[in-house]
Amino acid sequence: MAGSALRRLMAEYKQLTLNPPEGIIAGPIDEENFFEWEALITGPEGTCFEGGVFPAKLSFPPDYPLSPPKMRFLCEMFHPNIYADGRVCISILHAPGDDPMGYESSAERWSPVQSVEKILLSVVSMLAEPNDESGANVDAAKMWREDREQFNMIADRIVRKTLGL
Amino acid sequence: MKAILATVISLALTTVVIGNAYYQKKQFYPSIVYLTNSNPSMAVMYLQAFILVLLVGKLLRKIFFGQLRPAEFEHLIERSWYAITETCLAFTVFRDDFNPKFIALFTLLLFLKAFHWLAEDRVDYMERSPVIGLLFHVRILSLLMLLAQSDFYFIHHAYQFTASKGPSVQLVFGFEYSILLIMIANILIKYVLHAIDSRWETPWESKAAVLLYTELAINFLKVLLYIGFVAVMVRIYTLPLFAFRPMYETMRSFKKAYNDVVLSRRAIRNMNTLYPDATAAELAAADNECIICREEMHSGAKKLPCNHIFHAACLRLWFQRQQTCPTCRLNVLRAPAPAAEPAPAHAAPGHPAPPAPAPTAAPVPPPFPQMPPPMMAWGMPPPPPPRPASLGNLTMAELQRMEGNERRAIEARLQLLREIQSMLDASVLLMQQYSTVVGSVAQNQATVGTQTLEMGRTTEEPETKPKVKSEPDVVPTTSSYQPSPVASTSRVKNEPPLDRPPADADANPRDKTDADAEELRRRRLQKFTLDK
Repeated sequence: MAGSALRRLMAEYKQLTLNPPEGIIAGPIDEENFFEWEALITGPEGTCFEGGVFPAKLSFPPDYPLSPPKMRFLCEMFHPNIYADGRVCISILHAPGDDPMGYESSAERWSPVQSVEKILLSVVSMLAEPNDESGANVDAAKMWREDREQFNMIADRIVRKTLGL
Repeated sequence: MKAILATVISLALTTVVIGNAYYQKKQFYPSIVYLTNSNPSMAVMYLQAFILVLLVGKLLRKIFFGQLRPAEFEHLIERSWYAITETCLAFTVFRDDFNPKFIALFTLLLFLKAFHWLAEDRVDYMERSPVIGLLFHVRILSLLMLLAQSDFYFIHHAYQFTASKGPSVQLVFGFEYSILLIMIANILIKYVLHAIDSRWETPWESKAAVLLYTELAINFLKVLLYIGFVAVMVRIYTLPLFAFRPMYETMRSFKKAYNDVVLSRRAIRNMNTLYPDATAAELAAADNECIICREEMHSGAKKLPCNHIFHAACLRLWFQRQQTCPTCRLNVLRAPAPAAEPAPAHAAPGHPAPPAPAPTAAPVPPPFPQMPPPMMAWGMPPPPPPRPASLGNLTMAELQRMEGNERRAIEARLQLLREIQSMLDASVLLMQQYSTVVGSVAQNQATVGTQTLEMGRTTEEPETKPKVKSEPDVVPTTSSYQPSPVASTSRVKNEPPLDRPPADADANPRDKTDADAEELRRRRLQKFTLDK
C-alpha cells in the first residue's frame, strides 16, 4: 500500500510541476519523504487576502489517497474556517464518517478522486468566500458576519506580515 | 536543560539525606532505620526513585527508538494522561492495600505501557518511511521480544499469586499485561506484514484485507478480555470504572472493524461477481487512467453500475473504507446491479447495515389488525430466517435460495398466526370463566357482606376452580391482563379439559358477567391495537 501511495504522490507532484495552477506552488519539503508537503498559496485577487503568500504544510497518511491529507497553515491566519493553530477545516479534507462541525453532507467529503491540486484550489476559494457556518474560528466567523471592516483590517495585517513588511 | 537540573538537584538532595543519616547513626542498619522512619527523607528518596525511572526510560528510549518524532511524543503524552487518570481511579478500588510496593507496580505498568505505545507508533510509521534500515528491524524486534517477555512474566506472576493467595490487585495486573500481550501480538503481525510489503517490489494487494481481519480478531480478543475482567471485578470488588473507557473504545473499534469487514466483503463480492470488466473501448473513452492511483489501466479494470471505471485492486482497497463510487458516491451496496435482476421495492431504504434478523411484515393479512410483535416471541415454531438488508445485491443463485427460505418462512408465519389465534380463543374462553367466577364472588359477597372482595376471591377460588390458581394475580385487575408466554402456552394445552365451556358462561343468565366479559374483550382488543 505504501508503494501505491508513494506512486500516486509522485504522479501528483509531477502533474503539479508540469501544469501548475495559478497562484499555487506545492511539493514535498524533502525529496526523501513524499508524505510531507509544503504549499504556498497566494491570496485570491479582489479579496481581503489579496497579495498575501501563505505557506502551509500538507501531511499525507500512509493510505493516501484512501484517507485525506491534513493541511495546516504555517503562518498566522484569521479566517472562519481555519483553526487558531492553522489547521484548515474544509469538507473535502474530512473522510466521510467524521464530521467535526456536523453540517457537511457526505457528498462534499474526501474521496480518492480529490487531489492536492483540488484541495489547494478549494482552499483558495475558501479564502475568497469563507463559510461562516463552520465554527473553526468562531471569533473570525462572528467578525466576518458583523464587522467586515475590522476583519479586512486584520486580514490586511496578516497579508503584510506574510510578505515580511 | 531543566531535566538535567532536576536530576542534579535530586541527586544532591539524596546524597545529603543519606550522608546526614549515616553521619548521625554511624552504622548501616541504624541509618537505614532512621531513613525509613523520617518522612522528609523518604520523600526525597521517592523523588529520586521517580527521577531514576525517568532516566531509565530515557535510556531505553535512546536504545530502542533513537529520537522520537514529534507526533510520537504528542501521542505518548496524550495517552499517558488517560493512563494516569485511570490508574488513579484504580487506586480508589484498591485503597486497602495501598502501599509503596503497590505504587511501584503501577508505575512499572505505566512505564511498560508507554513502550508498547511507542512500539505501536513506530511500526505504524514503517508504512510511511521510504527507507528502513537494518537498525530499525533490530531495534523493533528486540524491543518486541523484551516487552513480550516482561508481559509474559507478569501475567505468570499474577496468575501464581492469585492462585495461591486468592484475588487481589494482581488481578488488575494480570489483566493489564494480558491486554499488553495482545497488543504486542498485534504489533508483531503488523510489523511482519509491513516488512513483507516493503520487500516486494509490486504492491501487495491483499495486505489491507489481512490487516483488517487481524484487527477484527485482535479486537474480538480484547473485548472478550475486557468483559471477563469487568465481570470478575464486579463479582469480587466493585465496578471497575478505570476499565470503562478503554473497554468502550475497544468495543467501538471492534464494531467498526466488524462493519468494515462485512460491508467491504459484500462490496468486493459484488464487484467480483456483478460488475463487468471494462472493455478496451470503454477504457479509451475514460482516458485510460484510474482516478484512484492515477495510473494507466490496461487490464483488471471494473465498471461500476454508474459506469465509472477503476482498477479492481484500487476499488478493493477503497471498498474496505467505504462502499461508494469514488467519483459520484453512488452507494454500490444499495444500487441495483447493472442489467441484472431489478431490486425489490423495499431494498434497504435506510443505511447499509449488516444483515440483521429483521422479520418483515408477513404477506398474508393477519387475523387481527396490527399484530403486536411480543406475540411472536411465544410461538413454538422458530422465528423466520434473517433476511439480508438489500436484495438488490444478491446473485441469481442466492435469490433462488432465498425463495426456498421465503416459502418456509411464510409457512412458519402462517403456522405462527394459527397458533396465536388458537391461543387468543383460549384466552377469551378463560377470561369469560374468570369473569363468571368474579361475578359469583361478587354475588356471594353481597349475601355475606362481611368479607372484602379480595378476601372473598382468594377463599372462593380453590373450591370452585383449582385451575385459576396458576395465575391468581390476573384475577383482581382484569383490565391489566398481560399474557405471559409460559403460562399461556401451557394453558392452551390444558384448555380442552377445562370444566366450563364458553356456552356455560352464556347460559349463566347474569347481566353483570356478560357485561364484564364484553368489557374485557373490548379492552383486550384495544390493548392489542394500541400495542403496535
